[in-house]
Amino acid sequence: MNATNRGVNRVILLIAGIFLICVGSATVMPILWPVAGDLWKSWLSTGVDWMLSADNASRISEATTVSWFTLAFLTLLVLLVVITVLVIARLGGGRSSVVIREEAEGEVQGSVTIRGGFAADAITQSLASHDEILSSKVNARRLWGADVLHVSVMPRQNVSPVEVAETVTGLVDRLATLLGREISTLVTIHSGIRSRLAADQSRVN
Amino acid sequence: MTNAVLKRVVRRETHSPRTVATVILLVLVALAAIYVGIEIVLRLLGIGPLLVAPGAALTWLQDLPDQPPSLIIAGGLIALVAGLVLVWLALGPGRRPKHQLGSSSYAVIVDNGVIASSVAERVRRELDLAKGAVVVGVGHRSADITVRPEPGQAVDRRHARAVAESELVGYQLSPRVRVRARVLRAADGEEKS
Repeated sequence: MNATNRGVNRVILLIAGIFLICVGSATVMPILWPVAGDLWKSWLSTGVDWMLSADNASRISEATTVSWFTLAFLTLLVLLVVITVLVIARLGGGRSSVVIREEAEGEVQGSVTIRGGFAADAITQSLASHDEILSSKVNARRLWGADVLHVSVMPRQNVSPVEVAETVTGLVDRLATLLGREISTLVTIHSGIRSRLAADQSRVN
Repeated sequence: MTNAVLKRVVRRETHSPRTVATVILLVLVALAAIYVGIEIVLRLLGIGPLLVAPGAALTWLQDLPDQPPSLIIAGGLIALVAGLVLVWLALGPGRRPKHQLGSSSYAVIVDNGVIASSVAERVRRELDLAKGAVVVGVGHRSADITVRPEPGQAVDRRHARAVAESELVGYQLSPRVRVRARVLRAADGEEKS
C-alpha cells in the first residue's frame, strides 16, 4: 500500500512497448519485403548525412571537433537519465507515522496526534497472544489526504480468514474506542512458507 | 465499508502497480543512455571506443538489411516479443491473487492461498477425510475442489461442493467465486462435475 502513481508506470511501459514493437517490425520487414530494405537504407543515410552536416555546421571553433550538435545530444542523454532517476525516486511514498491527527479548534490551542508506533505496539502485542496468528506488522500511511492504518497478518495454515479478520478488526475497534476516533484500517491476511510449515498439527490420529 | 480512500486502497492492493517492470525498464534505459554518452565523450576526447565508435555504429545500423537474415530475424523477434510483453503489462489488469473479504466494516484483503487452505480444511473435516485428501485451488472467479478419498470411502461430489460453497458464502468474497468439485477414484478414473 503506497502512493505510487500507477498511471505513470503503465504509460512508461506502453511507450517502451510500442517503441520496441516498431523497432522489431522495422528490422524484420526488409527480409519479408525487399523494398522496405531499400527504404531503410535511404532513410537512414539521409538521417546520417543530416547529422554529419549538422555536426560540421555547428562546430564550436575551427580548432576542435566538438560541435553544438553533439553537446545538445549529450544534454538530451543527461536529461533522459535525470528523468529516469526522478521517476524511480518518486515511486512508493505515502509512509506516515501518524494514525490520528486532531487539529486545534476554537479556543483550544495545539493539536493532538496519535503516532503509528502506539497503534503498532498495541495491535502487535495483542496479536502475539493469539496462537493462530504467526506474525503481524502494522504501519501507518497518509494517502490522498487520509490517514490509513495497515495491519498485515500471517495466520497459521487452515485457519479461517473470517476468524482472523474478526480478531484483528475487533482489536482495531477497541483501539478506536480507546482513542475515541474511527481509524481507517486495511487488514491484509497473507499466506506464506512460514504459515505452511506451522500448519495445525493433528493431535488425534 | 463506505470510506472512499479505503475503496481506492482495496483496488490498489488487489492489482499490481507494475513497479518492478517499470524500474527494470527505466534502469536499462538509463544504462543505455549513459553508455551512448560515454562513447560520444570518448570520441570527442580522441580516445578509442569501449565497444564501438558512434560513427561505426551508425554505419552498421545503415547496413542492417545486409546482415545475415538469421541475425536480423532473431533480433527483430526478440524486440517484438519484448514490446508485446510490455504492452500487455501496460494494458493488462494485473490482478493479484487476492480477494476482498466482505464481512467487516474495515477493508480486509485475503491471499487466495489462505482461502484455499481454510476451505480445504473445512471440507476435509466435514467429509471425514485424511490429511492432504482435499486439494483446493482458488482463482479469481472460481475455486476447484479435488477430493481424493481413501479406497472404500464414499464421497458425494455434490456434498463436497455444498460444504465448500457454504464455507465460501460465509467469507462474502468480492469478486465472488464459483465452486467446482471433483472426486478422484484411486483405481477407476474419476467422477467429474
